[in-house]
Amino acid sequence: MSVITKRIFGEFQVRGLSHSYGGVPVLEDCTLDVPRGKLTVLVGPSGCGKTTLINILAGYETSTVGQVLLDERPVAGPGPDRLVVFQEMALFPWMTVEENVNFGCRASGMPAGEMRSRVASVLAKVGLADFRSKYPSQLSGGMQRRAELARAMVNDPKVMILDEPFRGLDAMTRSMMQEFYVGLFEEVGRTNLFVTHDLEEAVFLADRLLIMTYRPGKIREVIDVDLPRPRTFQVMATPRYNEIRQHALELLYEEASKAFAAGSQAAFDLVDGFAKAAGR
Amino acid sequence: MASGILTAPSNPRRKAHPWLRQSFNRHTLRGAVTLVVFVILWALVVAFKVPYLRLLPPPRDVAVSLLQSVASAGYWANWWISMVHIAVGFVAAVVVGVPLGLAMGINRTVRRFVFPIFEVLRPVPPIAWIPLAIIFWPTVSLTIYFLVFTGPFFIIVLNVMDGVREVSQNHVRAALSLGAKPRDVFWRIMLPATLPYVMTGMAVGMGVTWNVLIAAEMVTSATESGLGSMTWTAYTNGILPVIVVGMLSIGVAGYLSSALLRLLGERLMPWQRRI
Repeated sequence: MSVITKRIFGEFQVRGLSHSYGGVPVLEDCTLDVPRGKLTVLVGPSGCGKTTLINILAGYETSTVGQVLLDERPVAGPGPDRLVVFQEMALFPWMTVEENVNFGCRASGMPAGEMRSRVASVLAKVGLADFRSKYPSQLSGGMQRRAELARAMVNDPKVMILDEPFRGLDAMTRSMMQEFYVGLFEEVGRTNLFVTHDLEEAVFLADRLLIMTYRPGKIREVIDVDLPRPRTFQVMATPRYNEIRQHALELLYEEASKAFAAGSQAAFDLVDGFAKAAGR
Repeated sequence: MASGILTAPSNPRRKAHPWLRQSFNRHTLRGAVTLVVFVILWALVVAFKVPYLRLLPPPRDVAVSLLQSVASAGYWANWWISMVHIAVGFVAAVVVGVPLGLAMGINRTVRRFVFPIFEVLRPVPPIAWIPLAIIFWPTVSLTIYFLVFTGPFFIIVLNVMDGVREVSQNHVRAALSLGAKPRDVFWRIMLPATLPYVMTGMAVGMGVTWNVLIAAEMVTSATESGLGSMTWTAYTNGILPVIVVGMLSIGVAGYLSSALLRLLGERLMPWQRRI
């Protein structure tokens, strides 16, 4: 079958993490778990420190206080065991889709034959087999995101971290990508940490929903999303979905109000969210 | 695409070569019209003996002189010598400038050591180096190579340095997350990401290079040949049509070297091609 093996996936434990930029606390006593084989979604108002948390988990930044453990081992620097998909396109524009996807394999010195079959199978899975020799600038926004997912998956990371990966896509493409992504997750079942400020996206995707407070960021509440899998967009019409979304919305509202008082973009995002919720 | 005079007729057997169709369309035709008008004006200026321009040779003389030049081996020797001057000095500027620019972009310490010298030397026009260069270098060829080198060198270094600092942090991070070692980051991220800046530096530098070369060849024209000295010698001998032939040749040579660089850029950076 697939070359993406259900190998031992990893889990994150974050204990009492604090971080500040120039004396301004961004994260304070942040404690959370990203359990094995689950899709954990982190939601919070813009500016709550989500990206900082991601950067620390990925190893791009180190915090002075607290611990980040990946499978009980402290995280030190970036590495191929944790793959990050960024909010802005981070495909290398000078490489074709195929070269982008096999970048990780080449860096780890995988034999050419194995690399080829792996890359071919992952590209087929994300529907880009016919676009392997195109450059990223020749792809549509949705294709670019799928290429990034492929590049992350082919490396078989213990944890996949996605930082608002569908930001900037138009509404329709975004919905398609969400459904595509959730299907991919349900098939492979890898440990995923997905960050977003879009509540509907969050509830639709998640096994577990982590609500973050506005600055300094920590986890306000953990919500178990017990919606059945496999998920399709029909799930958004069920009472249970609305119940969870309503509860999360109230929590987020409080946090976004604080952000509003601080004059943040978060308020605008929330107004946007309410408008969408009312429209349904 | 363009529906110009010489675009392909509907008969497929007589379809013009794509290069021909690109070269002769409505837009190039407009350019040709301007050229013809220019030559006519020039002929009129000579015919009516316009003050201050009385000594201007008529287009016909220049055309005759051009034909004689094209038929002579000496003319092509001058082309060859100028091209060698450009190639040696320019390649040296690239070979020294690109690594130095990379080092200055990547390493703050290197930048802090070297940058002050740059700030002082960069505004010095390359032509101002001529006296010192003639004194320092034992042969005329070396003098010219050096002068040609100073033209594009600073431009290339500063462009490359800026290019390194513009490398996207996200690309570096993505590469590290994918397990790249520092060596991979340099060769597969830094270098290709700065390549457009290298090419820009080279293109801008090429313009300066011809300025410097012609000045250098004119100053040293007693002992060294080339298109610049050909033009200057024609002046000292009072052969006016050859001066114009020299100028035209320099223009064509400059255009050709820029076109060559553009071609190189397209080859090296296929991802920038718009399809």
